[in-house]
Amino acid sequence: MAWGGSDPGCPLLRRLPDQTSGRRTTPAAGAPQFEGLMEIDRADGRTPNQLRPLSCSRGVLHRAHGSASWSQGNTQILAAAYGPKAGTKKNENPERASFEVIWKPKSGQIGKQEEEYEMILKRTIQSICVLTVNPNTTTSVIVQVVHDDGALLPCAINAACAALVDAGIPLKHLAVSICCSLVEPGIVMLDPTKLEEEKMKAFTYLVFPNSSHSVLNKGSAQSENNDETEQGLITSVTHGIMSVDDYLQCLERGRAATTKLSDFLRRNLQPQLPSNT
Amino acid sequence: METPGFIDQPVVPGDVVMDLSKMSNQTIKIGGGLRQDSDLISVVKAGKLRFSKPNKYWVETSQKRYVPCVEDAILGIVVDTRADNFLIDIKGPAIGFLPVLAFEGGSRRNIPKFEPGTLIYVRVVKANPGTNPELSCTDASGRAAEFGPLKEGFMFECTTGLSRMLLSSPTCPVLEEFGKKLSFEIAVGLNGRVWVNAASPSTIIVVSNAIMKSESLSGTQQRIMAQKLLERIQ
Repeated sequence: MAWGGSDPGCPLLRRLPDQTSGRRTTPAAGAPQFEGLMEIDRADGRTPNQLRPLSCSRGVLHRAHGSASWSQGNTQILAAAYGPKAGTKKNENPERASFEVIWKPKSGQIGKQEEEYEMILKRTIQSICVLTVNPNTTTSVIVQVVHDDGALLPCAINAACAALVDAGIPLKHLAVSICCSLVEPGIVMLDPTKLEEEKMKAFTYLVFPNSSHSVLNKGSAQSENNDETEQGLITSVTHGIMSVDDYLQCLERGRAATTKLSDFLRRNLQPQLPSNT
Repeated sequence: METPGFIDQPVVPGDVVMDLSKMSNQTIKIGGGLRQDSDLISVVKAGKLRFSKPNKYWVETSQKRYVPCVEDAILGIVVDTRADNFLIDIKGPAIGFLPVLAFEGGSRRNIPKFEPGTLIYVRVVKANPGTNPELSCTDASGRAAEFGPLKEGFMFECTTGLSRMLLSSPTCPVLEEFGKKLSFEIAVGLNGRVWVNAASPSTIIVVSNAIMKSESLSGTQQRIMAQKLLERIQ
């Protein structure tokens, strides 16, 4: 393509035909950068804010106390939760419940990357669970990667959360997780596939608490309540270089997308009992 | 009170179902699945919120593990023996203790001998978070009342929801249908264990399989399934 040489590398961006100059416009602080001059072509035809099709099944493993299989597009993760079982490891506080996470990649040996995922998952789980209910117990969460097609850690966090709910571990709230990636400074894309992820300048995994139904929000100060209850951020992992404004934009887009994820998770977690009584 | 909207509705961890600061002086009893956070009652397990007059709220959940509750009748498996306790596995977060003397007419001279692996029908006497639950093989007045080791028969595990359904009154449809034609005895533990015994192994197999399958079926579906199975064996 014979455009002026400012955007050689990013095949996802294309300029609309009425752009006369080949130079990039200088970004205004805080404003979305390309003001509708750029359109993003994703390989599977999604818009930048669109998530891949989600599916979740619980109770898939017969022997695990709780299990869930979560897939976003082609990325699929199977999570199992065992416990709570009596006893903790040496360095853990016996007044709290402790968690152990084991990450099993699809193939290959376990290395530093898997240990990093295990640590991130463990910290996230520790912040969503009520730790004081079952002191001196250990709950094991085992995550098996079935297929990796981008946004692996968010998918794993969603699967682990669903498995914990299936096992009946008391949770303060649910965790919904999403991957926001930065195509160019100013353009944020949600839920990239593996090919898209490799071309990104930076991406971040974000975990938010779910949007909950509450008797509180029925008061008059509704906007204030909404701000308070939905402002939390549980985990954020970033790769690559992004500016602060871009990061804040990722946070905003990610939080907006989690309402959809929350609703999906809520519908999925409804008890599957026949309506007898 | 704002809660009526949530009663009998599916709830998810994180939902706030009650605001105590808005209520006048009332005493409320909170059951499993709910947690008090200063002035708010929030949900910690996914399930259906239930209310029973005058003031009890709880979340009805069905899990493979068990949360020990006082006065529950459960099936435990002996794991080990200590000087004054049997260690019993009850599918909960901590191992249960069955005092050696907690039997009808129990004394230091006639302590029963249980091998590891023995199935025992026991009652929960004390259950506090963080401590080992205390069990007993007598009812509240000290009589044996069917508690004790279960010999022969077949034990299988299920969810706590299925155990509650089997123990509900009026009698669960699947048990009622089988009870009309077959003769068998069952012991249901609220911790998700069921023991079935009958004269012939085929009866045991039919009843066990039917119970395991009846969790997701409605009352009429259970009766139809039971009748089909009965036709096949008779």
